[in-house]
Amino acid sequence: MRLQALALAAGLAGLGISIYLTVVHYSTIPLACPANAVINCEQVVTSPYGVIGGSVIPTSAAGIAWFAVSALLAAGLLAGRTQLARAQLGWAAIGIVTVLGLVYVEIVRLGAVCIWCSAAHALVLLIFLIALPRGKGNRVTS
Amino acid sequence: MSRPAAKQPPAPRPMRKAVSRTPSWVVPVAAVAGIALLVVAFLVIRWYTTPPAPTPLTVDATQQVIASITSLPATALDAVGAGSANNLIKKVSGTPLTGPNGHPEVFYMGAEYCPYCAAERWPMIIALSQFGTFSGLQTTSSSSTDVYPNTPTFTFRSATFTSQYVDFVSVETTDRNQNPLQSPTSAQQALVTKYDTSGSIPFVDFGNRYAFDGAMYLPDVLSGLSWQAVADSLAQSTSPQAKAILGSANLITAAICRLTADQPATVCSSSSIQAIEQKLG
Repeated sequence: MRLQALALAAGLAGLGISIYLTVVHYSTIPLACPANAVINCEQVVTSPYGVIGGSVIPTSAAGIAWFAVSALLAAGLLAGRTQLARAQLGWAAIGIVTVLGLVYVEIVRLGAVCIWCSAAHALVLLIFLIALPRGKGNRVTS
Repeated sequence: MSRPAAKQPPAPRPMRKAVSRTPSWVVPVAAVAGIALLVVAFLVIRWYTTPPAPTPLTVDATQQVIASITSLPATALDAVGAGSANNLIKKVSGTPLTGPNGHPEVFYMGAEYCPYCAAERWPMIIALSQFGTFSGLQTTSSSSTDVYPNTPTFTFRSATFTSQYVDFVSVETTDRNQNPLQSPTSAQQALVTKYDTSGSIPFVDFGNRYAFDGAMYLPDVLSGLSWQAVADSLAQSTSPQAKAILGSANLITAAICRLTADQPATVCSSSSIQAIEQKLG
């Protein structure tokens, strides 16, 4: 239960980050982010990979949808709807695969890291880890 | 007295059978380790695929390239017109910007790491050289780790420009490794804030009458080419490089001609420049 509360918090935090990046994309507000040889949010979010499939929709908009669903799933599990566990695992798996693709783009294609994106990626990883099924540990039965 | 109770043998302990189950920490730790391995693999791929930075040309070789691109015949520029360049120049309004010598000022802000700045410096130099003379230009290339890595170009960091028509002021904010280089003055920063609302570089302001940000063509046109190869390609008006670079140069030239009241006439009266000027409004 405590883990699902953490997943809910991570979902809401990721939702906030995604909303911020989307608002920045559609406005003239400068992105709060340091720029150096490795970290360069501007380079990442203004690259062709910063939008979905060449559209005008920022990649962060997909983040809004993903984190919103993640938060709902965590809330459902917190409320005792254990049948949502598989849905959470499947959804988290989609998220972590997407994150790995985005990390590949950042490191290999762009050579720049966006710290806001990385924060969102870390939250996806956290939700994925919470969603993973666990063993019960070594136990002794009679 | 009651007999002491016979000592009972201890009750057999219940059979305990160890059930082998995966410890709860194994799956998350394995997942994290797998992801960490993938990230390391990405870093290795990046390291292997990052091309080495090209060695800048010597002063003499640089002068030869600059002489080549700034001595193109007017017919070569005329033949290209706007070429394949994307006209990003927008009309702006504000107090006319005057340079240190009292001429209308062309203000540029970019950075050496930036591939779009690298692409745009070629037409900037070609266009401005029709109004004056550059000295102190050096060859460099854009960042090896950015998009369009190692785009061959020049830097304005130590360049001076003399002209009787227009002043040119430049700021290169960082070197190709993104180390700080030059900072805009507060007045220059105010121009950027006012006219470059997207914050993109390169940013060019033509006397507060016209401005643009970004590159007028994609730097991939220059991918893998040496400075000399780019210069040679400009002699062929049908080459992709000529269409992109000379087309962009003509757009910039037309904007400058607007500032100088079409002076010098030998540059500004050409049919292609006049046609572009009409479009600039």
